[in-house]
Amino acid sequence: MLTSMQLHLAKVFLKIFFRDRQSITFNLFFPLVFIGAFLFLGGEPDPIKLGLVNNSTNTISKDFSNLVKGDQLFEVTEGEESDLKEQLLLGDQTAIIVIPENFDYSDKTSELRLLLDASQVRQLGTIKEAINTSLISIERELRKSEPMFSLKIEDVKARSQRYIDFLLPGLLAFMLMNLSIAGSGFNIVEYRRRGILKRLFVTPIQPKDFIVSIVLARTLIVLMQISVVLGLAIALLDVKIMGSFFSLYGMVILGTFIFLCLGFSLGSIAKTQEAVRPIVTSFTFPQLIFSGVFFPISSMPEIIQPFAHALPLSVIATGLRDIANDGVSLLIFNSTTLGIVIWIILSFFTVTKFFVWKEIAS
Amino acid sequence: MNIIEVRDLLKSYPLPGNKKETFNAVDGITFNIKIGEIYGILGPNGAGKTTTLEMLEGLNDIDGGSALINGLDVSTNVFKVKEIIGVQLQANEYFDKLNLTELLILFGKLYSEEIDSDDLLKKVDLLGKSNAKPEELSGGQKQRFSIACALVNNPKILFLDEPTTGLDPQAKRNLWNLVKELNTAGMTIVLTTHNMEEAEYLCKRIAIMDKGKLIAEDTPQGLIEKYAPEPQQLASQGNIEDVFLALTGHTLRD
Repeated sequence: MLTSMQLHLAKVFLKIFFRDRQSITFNLFFPLVFIGAFLFLGGEPDPIKLGLVNNSTNTISKDFSNLVKGDQLFEVTEGEESDLKEQLLLGDQTAIIVIPENFDYSDKTSELRLLLDASQVRQLGTIKEAINTSLISIERELRKSEPMFSLKIEDVKARSQRYIDFLLPGLLAFMLMNLSIAGSGFNIVEYRRRGILKRLFVTPIQPKDFIVSIVLARTLIVLMQISVVLGLAIALLDVKIMGSFFSLYGMVILGTFIFLCLGFSLGSIAKTQEAVRPIVTSFTFPQLIFSGVFFPISSMPEIIQPFAHALPLSVIATGLRDIANDGVSLLIFNSTTLGIVIWIILSFFTVTKFFVWKEIAS
Repeated sequence: MNIIEVRDLLKSYPLPGNKKETFNAVDGITFNIKIGEIYGILGPNGAGKTTTLEMLEGLNDIDGGSALINGLDVSTNVFKVKEIIGVQLQANEYFDKLNLTELLILFGKLYSEEIDSDDLLKKVDLLGKSNAKPEELSGGQKQRFSIACALVNNPKILFLDEPTTGLDPQAKRNLWNLVKELNTAGMTIVLTTHNMEEAEYLCKRIAIMDKGKLIAEDTPQGLIEKYAPEPQQLASQGNIEDVFLALTGHTLRD
């Protein structure tokens, strides 16, 4: 149970945070700018510029072309392969689909060729995934599949067509990482440098009281700030949370715990205020790049994918995405929840190993 | 009756530049402090005064010997000891964005005590500043506030580490009066200082430390009689500074 000392100290940390207007503004600035940008763009990404080469003359290929042209995801230009290839090289097209001469799917599988500019590595995975999903959808429509199947397709489409749905959980995870590490790592070093920890340590406060208070205060701060961003995204960008808010907030709390523990460890390793910044950056920067916050991990080179999937931010971002986009419950055991359990254990182990109160205080 | 009993107290650190070897920052010192005393520890920079105090306060591990405070062994009862002592550190910094009242209430809570912050501020003559932030205070006010923070648990013993360093004569005199008042009210006070006048004015007994060792201990008058130059003829002209220099030499320490 929480003691009145712990509660009071947590209240003090909250008071300090809320009196620091500049810090609140800048913590919210980055995610709000993103939401603002999406609001400005109408919440939808630009359509993919798709060149369509139809080498077939049969009705099936015409139906197929019409459906592709009707898909809002694409801005289709029909033409000859050579002309469109030139446009692709100039960057006027993002991809080209080539329908073969004998396009027929009734008795065999036809091969559609997808031409891409491989130099656009950053977008390759996303484009491939989006085109593939849309083509499957078109195929289902042509084949007049069973309703059970079309349900599945709508789900897949909904995800790939709205980038904000993909981005928001990652953004929330990124936000909670920054808030947590700033709350533990940076604060510890700052309190130590200024002798505040030493002053606390001459009182009978125990290390666990101090840690519990910071964890409590920071978790509340993260929950409040995430609620602001989430609330705006739901109200202004029509973002739907498919899963329960219990699961979503549960995941946020677990993520905050992991990053607070890691933040305490980083703050304990850093001996000076100058050292803490590069140490924290070398921890957070790779996560920003590799954790699939802005682009799916599947679009990254295969060799780094296992590493990217293992990062704590990836685990939390994927967990939040599973809940927000797919309605997965936090209580269902899958590879993401396993990852979270592993990171909770690892971060807790790290913090108990590195966080030496006496060294911190002196 | 002794409230502090220190026996062969030892603290060693790795030698700077040669981590394999150690040196004793506090080298087996022994002394007792009686209830109600103002006890001063004098010494040049690096003599081991602050380290000694920090071991008694539970801030630094004791490497050898023992320290009993109010009958409690500091090594094994550090949190119980902290409950009955008040500590003013050499440098005192506080959380940002909190005023004096809020800080005092916070410190009270750390001892699980509800305090009357106005009463404490009145005691240190800062009642008018209850809504001010520590950084808005003058040097003397800051020191008085740090004493107020050290008093939140109504301690039996108050440790003051160089309390008047950097203060102007008025602020210094004001702080001495406060220390005297607290002592008159029954509080045992242990202080370290460089200021000979301060030690002579405030302390009932003085210990002089140098290079980790306790080299002399007596009342101010006793020390003057023993160590001031030509004590028979010049005792009345000598002072504690003469004693200090006679014992520790004139060489600069840092």
